[in-house]
Amino acid sequence: MELDHVGGTYGGNRKPTPFICLVMKMLQIQPDKEIVVEFIKNEDYKYVRVLGAFYLRLTGTDIDVYRYLEPLYNDYRKLRQKLSDGRFSLTHVDEVIDELLTKDYSCDIAMPRIKKRLTIEAIGALEPRKSALEDDFEEEEEKDDDDQLMDIDAGGHEKDYYRGQSPSRERGRDRDRKRDSHRHRDRDHDREYDRDYEWERRDRDRDRDRDRDRDRYRGRDERDHGRDRDRDRDRRDRERGGRRRSRSRSTSRDRDRDRDREERRQRHARDTSASPSRRGAEDEKPKKKKEKEKKKDDGTDHPDPEIAEANRIRASLGLKPLKL
Amino acid sequence: MEPSLRGFKSNSYDQYTHAIELQEKNQRSTKMIEVVLNDRLGKKVRVKCNDDDTIGDLKKLVAAQTGTRADKIRIQKWYNIYKDHITLKDYEIHDGMGLELYYN
Repeated sequence: MELDHVGGTYGGNRKPTPFICLVMKMLQIQPDKEIVVEFIKNEDYKYVRVLGAFYLRLTGTDIDVYRYLEPLYNDYRKLRQKLSDGRFSLTHVDEVIDELLTKDYSCDIAMPRIKKRLTIEAIGALEPRKSALEDDFEEEEEKDDDDQLMDIDAGGHEKDYYRGQSPSRERGRDRDRKRDSHRHRDRDHDREYDRDYEWERRDRDRDRDRDRDRDRYRGRDERDHGRDRDRDRDRRDRERGGRRRSRSRSTSRDRDRDRDREERRQRHARDTSASPSRRGAEDEKPKKKKEKEKKKDDGTDHPDPEIAEANRIRASLGLKPLKL
Repeated sequence: MEPSLRGFKSNSYDQYTHAIELQEKNQRSTKMIEVVLNDRLGKKVRVKCNDDDTIGDLKKLVAAQTGTRADKIRIQKWYNIYKDHITLKDYEIHDGMGLELYYN
């Protein structure tokens, strides 16, 4: 077999690989579907298999593509791939098939759009995907169920994801519940900060009761209810601290709002870590953050907006900032 | 190194430091240059880059600005196709120079 690598074009003047030449030849002859399926079915020559798969991806219908390409996920043989700068790299058959099915660009060719698998499952033309590793994952999730009793949500999540099923109503419900609990918390938080000084004092007691009730409800559902309780305790402490600060300084609402916004920002940053902090640590945090932001060395805070923008793009591409 | 102050008549300290800065800037190894890429079909792009960036980096910057894919871009000057791994400084691409933009 002369075909020994996969690839598109390479080099400065874009030389084609034999693989892509054969793809073009197939597009010229337009073989029947049976012949292409024979290409895919053969086990002896892996590059011919990938050639057939590529041609089917370009010319076949959505259902055919999924039906004939998914069995190739089980083929884990190594392939040689020629990159666009002329070097060779190692890949595997199932990696290439995954690229064909999930991305819309491969071997320098923009592939035709096919419907997502979930859409086709929804209309019933295909059954939900059965993964070859399903048994292994079932064993794992049984182990998880034994270990953590409160873990209903996570177990449900895993099962749905690995089975490759369309998002069941159960998973959607969990997602909604989690999203709503977040929104709930933020909405109450905003409401508390934007009220006037007199109202805040009156509502503080009411909020504390509400927080405690909400805590109890959430504790039953979420795994880390200990963390939530700490977080709410922090928030309550911070409210008290914030109000004390506003009392001593001027009563202009703008300044309070700016400070509150900053506290809100650091609370979001801090919520990702699990440790509940003391009230003393909060005062240091805003100062430390400001210093760190000023010392950014990728030039994105340059006074000239054009240069700052250029540096931002360079940073996102992984290049060093402009030398001015 | 003491810069030549013969042209200066003022004794101001600011002008002295400014002169030193200018001299250092001219002698510095990496400069920022701005390159113009034109594809003669309506796309004219000005890109700011360092002169020690490679052509590959320049292609990424152009891709970010034009929206094409970086590996589809070919940068040429007449019939010389510029290779990805060579720096702009080695190709002697100076500030304000125009390059041709083609696509693969």
